[in-house]
Amino acid sequence: MQMSPQLTAKFEKLQNAYPVKRSALIPMMMYAQDEFGYVSDEMIAEIAKRLDLLPIQVEETLAYYSMLRRKPMGKYHVQVCTNVACMLRGGYDILDQARKRLEIGHKETTEDGVFSLEEVECIGACTGAPAMQVNYDFYENLTVNKFDRILEEFDKGRKPAPEPVISGALHDRHPLETPLISSRWGIKDSRKIDVYLKNGGYKALEKALKQMTPETIIDEVKKSSLRGRGGAGFPTGMKWSFVPKDSPKAKYVICNADESEPGTCKDRPLMEMDPHQLIEGMVIAGRAIGANRGFIYIRGEYRYVLDLVEEAIQEAYQRGYLGKNILDSGFDYDLLIHTGAGAYECGEESALMESLEGKRGYPRIKPPFPAVVGLYGCPTIINNVETLSAVPSIINEGGEAYANRGTPKNGGTRLLCVAGHINKPGIYEIPLGMNMKKFIYEMAGGIPNGKKLKAVIPGGSSCPILTADEIDLPMDYDSVAKAGSMLGSGGMVVMDEDTCMVDMARRIMHFYAHESCGWCIPCREGTTWLRKMLERFHAGLGRPEDIDLVGELARNMLGRTFCPLGDAAALPTISIVQKWRNEFEDHLNGRCAYNKASNELLLGAR
Amino acid sequence: MAEQKLVTIKIDDRELKVPAGQLIIEATKQISTEVPSFCYYPGLSLQAACRMCLVEVEKMPKLQTACTLTATEGMVIRTDTAQIKQARKGMLEFLLTNHPLDCPVCDKGGECELQDMVFRYGADTSRFVEEKIHRPEEKWSELVYYDAPRCILCFRCVRVCDEGMDVKALGVGMRGANSVIIPNMEDHLECEECGMCIDICPVGALTSGTYRYKTRPWEMQYVSTICTHCSNGCKTTLSVRNHEILRANNRDLSGINNDFLCVKGRFGFDFTKHPERIKQPLLRKGDKLLPVSWEEAAQAAAAKLKEVKDTHGVDSIGFIGSNRTSNEENYLFQRLARVTIGTNNVDHHRTADYTGLFTALGENAKDWVLTMDRLYKSKAVLLIGNDPTNQNPFVAWQIRAGIRHHGLKLFVINSKDIKLRRKAENFVKVAAGQEAAAIRWLASGEGQIAGQAGEQLSALKSALSAESDVAIVFGSEIAGSAIASIVALGASLPGKTRYMALGDYSNSRGAADLGVLPDRLPGYAYLDDNKSREAFEKLWGGKISTKPGKTTPQMIEAAQNGGLKALYIMGANPLAHFGTLGYGRGKADLVIVHEMFMTETAKQADIVFPAASAYEKDGTVTNTSGEIQPLHKAAEVMGARSDFDLLRILSHQLEKQGVGKAFHYKTPAAVYEEIRKAVPGYDVDLSGLLAGEAETSHIAVKKNGHAAYDVPVGLIKPAQNSLFTSGTLGRYGQAIQSLPEAQAKP
Repeated sequence: MQMSPQLTAKFEKLQNAYPVKRSALIPMMMYAQDEFGYVSDEMIAEIAKRLDLLPIQVEETLAYYSMLRRKPMGKYHVQVCTNVACMLRGGYDILDQARKRLEIGHKETTEDGVFSLEEVECIGACTGAPAMQVNYDFYENLTVNKFDRILEEFDKGRKPAPEPVISGALHDRHPLETPLISSRWGIKDSRKIDVYLKNGGYKALEKALKQMTPETIIDEVKKSSLRGRGGAGFPTGMKWSFVPKDSPKAKYVICNADESEPGTCKDRPLMEMDPHQLIEGMVIAGRAIGANRGFIYIRGEYRYVLDLVEEAIQEAYQRGYLGKNILDSGFDYDLLIHTGAGAYECGEESALMESLEGKRGYPRIKPPFPAVVGLYGCPTIINNVETLSAVPSIINEGGEAYANRGTPKNGGTRLLCVAGHINKPGIYEIPLGMNMKKFIYEMAGGIPNGKKLKAVIPGGSSCPILTADEIDLPMDYDSVAKAGSMLGSGGMVVMDEDTCMVDMARRIMHFYAHESCGWCIPCREGTTWLRKMLERFHAGLGRPEDIDLVGELARNMLGRTFCPLGDAAALPTISIVQKWRNEFEDHLNGRCAYNKASNELLLGAR
Repeated sequence: MAEQKLVTIKIDDRELKVPAGQLIIEATKQISTEVPSFCYYPGLSLQAACRMCLVEVEKMPKLQTACTLTATEGMVIRTDTAQIKQARKGMLEFLLTNHPLDCPVCDKGGECELQDMVFRYGADTSRFVEEKIHRPEEKWSELVYYDAPRCILCFRCVRVCDEGMDVKALGVGMRGANSVIIPNMEDHLECEECGMCIDICPVGALTSGTYRYKTRPWEMQYVSTICTHCSNGCKTTLSVRNHEILRANNRDLSGINNDFLCVKGRFGFDFTKHPERIKQPLLRKGDKLLPVSWEEAAQAAAAKLKEVKDTHGVDSIGFIGSNRTSNEENYLFQRLARVTIGTNNVDHHRTADYTGLFTALGENAKDWVLTMDRLYKSKAVLLIGNDPTNQNPFVAWQIRAGIRHHGLKLFVINSKDIKLRRKAENFVKVAAGQEAAAIRWLASGEGQIAGQAGEQLSALKSALSAESDVAIVFGSEIAGSAIASIVALGASLPGKTRYMALGDYSNSRGAADLGVLPDRLPGYAYLDDNKSREAFEKLWGGKISTKPGKTTPQMIEAAQNGGLKALYIMGANPLAHFGTLGYGRGKADLVIVHEMFMTETAKQADIVFPAASAYEKDGTVTNTSGEIQPLHKAAEVMGARSDFDLLRILSHQLEKQGVGKAFHYKTPAAVYEEIRKAVPGYDVDLSGLLAGEAETSHIAVKKNGHAAYDVPVGLIKPAQNSLFTSGTLGRYGQAIQSLPEAQAKP
């Protein structure tokens, strides 16, 4: 197995790129797989040797990540998403068509080795649902016909053009939108540094480095009342202030770009259309906490985005916005973008750090928290792409001005992706506190085909689901919490009256069972049990006692798992059983009253 | 140690004081409150993964894991509420979803932690009606099998292999509910085969190749005794059914070794039932050794010894003792030589220079004793020579545990790239044979070592000088006068330096301590120390010569060239270790041997007595660090007798022949009672020993005006055993012999 000179060069670069060698493990495996189609024994031995690891340490890490494989797949690896947003818009039809057309099943390869098929979890193309990836390329807004046309092209040995940018990001701005961090989207070559500079770029960095101290930067961020946009909504300025000032250890800034919360696809356009804004935010964050090094951990599926950000990083180095003595301030800052390899759990901050250290993405015991003991045991702040992308605006216009864009304690604007049964799926930048009902009906165009609204996932599939009657509320962290749900990651999924909620519960649990890391018992066993039970139930083989059991098992996970993934699986499930119990009861008589597709599923099961 | 701050906490309404920062799961043990857990395992890294130990804490909204929660002043904890009971029940219900309920055919049935927990905290019904995840069982080695469905993924095995053993042969594969434990070599294990993973497994996921499907745990009796392989003195609990040993482990966590056992301790018991065990006395008739009655053999032995004694004098007989027999047997053996026969020609195969160490330490030797526990607690360890990982596995375990738990610093001087170097602060690689020179330079600054080793040694010296209370551990490379250098070096270091000489075999130390030596009485008293000698003469009713006898190499040489006429050998194979093979017994008229197997030496004998192994007898042994521990008889092998019995029988036969006085001890315990009174350093607390604990001997040696101590080259001869060899016992250990590792040359 001869390595290409490019791969050898890549390996050499990677193995020296990190403070601790082992960190290069996952990227090295990914690039090796790109070249050979899989990670062979030989490559494991090679990588182990290069990183001073035992082969079993490489194997352990490899086995954890769903994108990494030990056997070759087809030349074109067709990955069809059936997660909630895609499911609602016909993702299963696409998958069925793929099965029929290719005559292979999940994780199988055609005899000629040209195609392989995989049903995948949310790939971050929710506003372009249904979507698929062929290798790293995204194809969105699929129909069965469009899917056939794409595969015909591949059949002929041609690669059809993937989406230029994520669908739904570029649209006519609604008057109620307040573009701030998305203001450069749609400008030609917005990801280029010259365009960025022409449009106000790196002004905030100059201000932060020349006119501000680390303390005043943190103060501004605190004043902005910026809260984490990844899902938990923790106040960013407070998080930064937890980093011990007198620690002799190196400090790190990590950007969590592992966007994988089903329904969420806002970080992808932020990085593909405005990477310099993120870079600028990260340098400022580094300055604020005294870190000279930053890492962007991007999910493995977003390879083309990684390449774009990598280009931007190179530009920033060339122009002196990264590297030594930035803008003559004496401040040094290095930035590296790092690929994941398919693991939702790595969106959890401590699991992400384990993964960045080249290990299985298991979460860590807390306390200590990352601000004190983080990456490589050093003080680390970790923020979402959107959070860090908001930092330049906060520095430019001042914390107070930014805060005033939102509501008290919920400062600024935020990106909301809306997907599912909605007329205008897309990514919108709105002020925090906008009314949800107004957003759905006025900005996002309401429910297609004049149907009634049944349910809304407010911010990613981990949130308890709201009924149509519960959505007349301001979208800020506190108000949504008061309504018994969460603003979450900004991934809103809308369901019309014909949606089967049992099917929804089944699909959500399928995701969490697939993504459970296996570390703790309740999540590992609970999600799998619930998945099996909901599959059976949905297929018409439910028993009356199962309805309560679903809720009870979810409650047995709730608050008792090692990390929040257990809660994420439990909360939507509990809400569905509570609010749509009647639909479960309807299933008991042997059929799904809502969903044509599920009737087929049901017959298939029998 | 700085005084630890105590805080007051309340658990289930009971107030108690615990060290600040103590884990709550440990604190609950103080009041005998059980907080169940699978993944928590003292000594291994924390996981908080099994979620069984959830407790309620006042002012904390969510349940907390007691295995990570640390005690702070005023903390109020509840472990017994309805919410907790429900949480435990739910957790066990989750666990059982993919766990097969094959308890009736599972080796672990009856001693399974999952069974026990479900019994105590679980539900009485099963609500899981989905399909379980199935996977075939895997054979990872002759000794280790893995049954994935039974695995509850507590990762104890992975941690003990990595953290405890520094082997890392086990890992975790897949993810989520499909997670499995994986071996390092795709489908099999390449490791030290210690079996720690099997014992630490709370369920029947990892099972032992030697024990699986043999019996049920409640059909066996459990006998705690001391491992008969290396000198570290690990306690091993033998599981016995119908007088046959079926398993060895230490799951009761008793003994100095807690749960540690190496491959030999855990799997090296089956030599006891090897088909080639000698089960009848053998008497040479012509060129054949033929089975005879006990009476005939014993009478022949006594008569022939008397004949040699009468014809050639007492010093024409040599006694070579064992380093595997009990203290009581060693004591009787040298008494037989010294008083019954009347010669100081008594020695054993010495693998460490204990005499040298105690002579160098002198009258206060007991103050500098390094026990296994102290070794673990040491702040710094200087290891010279030996390869503990292979030769003294428990010593290596203690060092690794010290490094892991409290930052013990390890300094290594060795001529080989031993595995422990990976854990060392400083590793100095010297040329073979240069260890003593390195020590001399460290101690006195004389004889600088050239080259890289010299530079490394300088670095080690400056690092070491910053340490206090150093533990010095050394192998057979350091003997005789070099030990004086070690002690000089130790004296120059700050604090209290302690020493451990690493010998081989299970009772090398006991053989030396109890006077199986040509120049020292029990307790290392010089023969010309009148007070000591006269006390023994009085006790044993006979005169003891003040003339030192021959050493083992000298005896073998003399026997082979005619200088000795008779050899009496107990549990040793000196013709293989010291003789020129092929030359055999040479010109000796009489060779009498106590043996389990037809060794090179036994084959040359005139009379062979079938001897019992350490697992078939009571008594005491002393490990290399001077800890005396009890042996308990576990197995019974028809036809074999303990050396205690054999020596008693012989003494009676000799008395009948008019040679010496018969031994009237009824039991080994009666001999030990005498040892306690007569041997300085062995008057240890009896209650501890009776309770199965280790008691540290406290040897002290009076210089008595003797010249500086030294030993000739070749007297201290290491066994060179690996993890998979153990002299004769290893050769007949069937489980160990089945391992590819045992076949590989070390």
